[in-house]
Amino acid sequence: MRYIPSTKEQQSEMLKDIGVSSFEELLKNIPEKVKLKRKLNIPPVLSEQELEEKIVKIAQKNSNFYQMKPLLGAGAYRHFIPEAQKSLLQREEFWTCYTPYQPELSQGTLQSMFEFQSYISRLTKMDIVIPSIFDGASAAGEAALMSLRLTHKNKIIVSSLIHPHYRETIRTYLAPHDIEIIELPYHDGLVQYDQLEKLLDEDTAAVLVQSPNFFGGIENLTAMAELTHQKKALLIDIIVESMSMGILKSPGDLDVDIIAGSAQSFGMDLNFGGPYNAFLGTKKKYVRQIPGRIAGETKDKEGKRAFVMTFRAREQDIRREKATSNMCTNHNLNVIAADIYLSLMGTEGIYQYSLLNAKKAHYLENQLLKTGKFEKIFNYPYFNEFLIKYNGDIKNINKVLMENNFIPPLTVSSFYPDNDLKQTLLFAVTEIFSRDEMNLITSLFSQ
Amino acid sequence: MKLIFEKSIPGRDAYSLPTDLFQDIKIEDYLPEKHLDKDKKQLTEVSEVDVIRHFTKLSKFNYGVDDGLYPLGSCTMKYNPRINEKMAAISNFSQAHPFAPIEMVQGSLEIMYELNKLLCEITAMNQYTMAPASGAHGELTGNLIMRQYFIDHGEKRTKMLIPDSAHGTNPASAVMAGFEVIEIKSNENGTVDLNSLKNAMDEQTVGLMLTNPNTVGLYDKGIEDIEKIVHQKGGLLYYDGANLNASLGIIRPGDAGFDVVHLNLHKTFSTPHGGGGPGAGVIGVKDRLIPYLPTPIVDFDSTENKYFLKDIGKKSIGMVRSFWGNFSVLVKTYTWILSLGPEYLYQCSKTSIINANYVLAKLKKYYKPAYDQYCGHECTLTGREYKKYGIKTLQIAKRLMDYGYHPPTIYFPHFEPYAEETIMIEPPESEGKEVLDNFIEVMIKISQEAKDNPDLLKSAPHNTPISQTDDVMAVKRPILTYDDELELKDELNYQGKDIDYY
Repeated sequence: MRYIPSTKEQQSEMLKDIGVSSFEELLKNIPEKVKLKRKLNIPPVLSEQELEEKIVKIAQKNSNFYQMKPLLGAGAYRHFIPEAQKSLLQREEFWTCYTPYQPELSQGTLQSMFEFQSYISRLTKMDIVIPSIFDGASAAGEAALMSLRLTHKNKIIVSSLIHPHYRETIRTYLAPHDIEIIELPYHDGLVQYDQLEKLLDEDTAAVLVQSPNFFGGIENLTAMAELTHQKKALLIDIIVESMSMGILKSPGDLDVDIIAGSAQSFGMDLNFGGPYNAFLGTKKKYVRQIPGRIAGETKDKEGKRAFVMTFRAREQDIRREKATSNMCTNHNLNVIAADIYLSLMGTEGIYQYSLLNAKKAHYLENQLLKTGKFEKIFNYPYFNEFLIKYNGDIKNINKVLMENNFIPPLTVSSFYPDNDLKQTLLFAVTEIFSRDEMNLITSLFSQ
Repeated sequence: MKLIFEKSIPGRDAYSLPTDLFQDIKIEDYLPEKHLDKDKKQLTEVSEVDVIRHFTKLSKFNYGVDDGLYPLGSCTMKYNPRINEKMAAISNFSQAHPFAPIEMVQGSLEIMYELNKLLCEITAMNQYTMAPASGAHGELTGNLIMRQYFIDHGEKRTKMLIPDSAHGTNPASAVMAGFEVIEIKSNENGTVDLNSLKNAMDEQTVGLMLTNPNTVGLYDKGIEDIEKIVHQKGGLLYYDGANLNASLGIIRPGDAGFDVVHLNLHKTFSTPHGGGGPGAGVIGVKDRLIPYLPTPIVDFDSTENKYFLKDIGKKSIGMVRSFWGNFSVLVKTYTWILSLGPEYLYQCSKTSIINANYVLAKLKKYYKPAYDQYCGHECTLTGREYKKYGIKTLQIAKRLMDYGYHPPTIYFPHFEPYAEETIMIEPPESEGKEVLDNFIEVMIKISQEAKDNPDLLKSAPHNTPISQTDDVMAVKRPILTYDDELELKDELNYQGKDIDYY
């Protein structure tokens, strides 16, 4: 077998050196009763060629997504990824190695973590950045748990405009901890600030908000931070579309205490939902309560700059049940993916791309409104996603869009069954759409 | 090596913009000033060539499985087949949006559905959730499932039993699920002490989390008794799948009575570790626990002849992440299983067990094993003998780097009096005999050096890009971003001391 170098003869030799006459002797600690006495009932071995044909055939049961552009975002965004990034990520040294426990053999991964931390810190203006939690939702869950450790309080307020999967995940993470979770209602596409004032009290550990929110709306974080801090609670901002950081004010400048951000937009394929990556950001004074791994700079014996995983005394392999989190394997390869992506985009690229996202989304909304088939339901500032009411047959238009190689926008009513959101569509527009394509989409909706 | 920030030169770029910049849209007309940053975020300005060279150079400071033996115990650093990567990268898969209409993603759903069937057969479980992103994430998910099961049955159980040999993630995950951790001592055979287990297991106890073979590399002889003790008190048995590479086609956790199983697809199932992920920590359960799985799972509608995402229902623990799973990892796993079939899956485990016992047999004279008995797919030696020469196990590990090897796992497992100064070696099936022979030779050589020239070990490694690091300083004077470094620039003075270049 091509993945198993040892020959039968070599194996017999080795068994002899071990001092047993058969392989079975090595298994004598397994009780006979629980041993498997038959072959596994799975398909027989395939040659590489047969295997490839079989899987390609399955893949063809999916749509040809390469040719299609998604008007669908809702937590997963298709952005353009330069080939230089894809090519660099194929270097085996990045993807066949383990967690960088041995810094002498892992400076590549460790330095990349450090660079990514530095990039995200500059984009978000947070002092420290944990480079890798699995995804935005689990990062939001970890952020909520962190706020409990920091405040020792037992109430969490969660914006109803956080991505529904993220809200579910936050609930799952908090479920064992006897925490009161209160949902903050929304109005006109943004959270209700007057309600927040009413809900906040001395028992509140944290307020979780997403900005841009699930409907794309840009929340008023400064005002929320002020209200939250009056009650000595923490404001946690969830960033699902990180591309927004290119033009929007940074949460660190808006007095946010903790951020949990999906990094998917920074160079990760859609991959049917994963793997992506997420970062946490917070203030320096909270460093001992962060979950997960973080890279830090130090020196080696000769005084050379070196990078290591640091503040390790919080982690599960050292602290076991007293650890701040159980995080072990994270999504480190996607940290490198994002580090390369951000290096390629640079100061100007991220700004321009971010700006293009916002401009194109507003262009499409303008065009759609002109058809007379749509109704604006919110008057809110948004980044690259907008919610709009369609006065036509959604099933039918979805079919037409797919025939024209567009993945239809999200029908929001499956997540928000409220009456006034019936017939609403959540459009995501990234830099990948051209003017012609958006005009075509508009004309499809006008028919 | 210089940071990408230090290579930035104003005016350089590595991005390309479309020609139509939508100049007709003024964003200020739509977004209030208070939301827009006045200044651009200062990242870097480098060319595409700069980026390619920077990261190519960085990659050379890493050591991967493709570079040589990577005998990390409990990590199963096996070869990552290239065909897996190619299959996962097929654009119909890699560009699929997770919310795309179900008829557009039938292929993706088929992979998840079929993989579930394969994993169920390999482990004798009834249903998997593909949601968990890592082993520890799976552990948390599994613990929450057990918690929900008892809540649903009106039982208040708050304690989780965990052997002292367990991975640190086990106790940390149990605590995240709200349980109190009770540590079960290992006996003189390195396995679960049945009396301690019997005494600890009561009707307030959720169950036991067990790795089998355990982290010392030993199959637990008492598995049948363990199963009885836990189940007789109404508890549940959790299987940590980190060491499943010793079990393929040999023993199935479901047959041994385990109720919940997590698999590290990035260990046993050959998907790459990626320098710490992404992997996947899928969770399999027996029938009675299916109602508590995270929602949704993939099912097949035979009347409509299509796959769909099925909501688990009200008893589900909810979601543990966004969307459905680390899908590309699932494709790689599926590819790997089909490329081996039942015959070679068994050969993987057989070969890795022979490899580990071979290394044990050859090295036990030089590094006293924690337990002198046949092992599973990994063996646990110790560096105790060399304490008298002033040598720590860490230094043995570092010296291995000089010979071009990644060190084994060290100081884990740790429990006294048996497992101290441990060196846990896992030589998976993808390592041939001559690779092991070379490694063994080097280990023996180092054992001699420890006696004759201990300073050689104490100052190791000598020919890696950097030498030993000052980990204390990293905490005392935290530099966690480039901006932290800039503040200390003068004090740090790296002039001429960077690891550039070779």
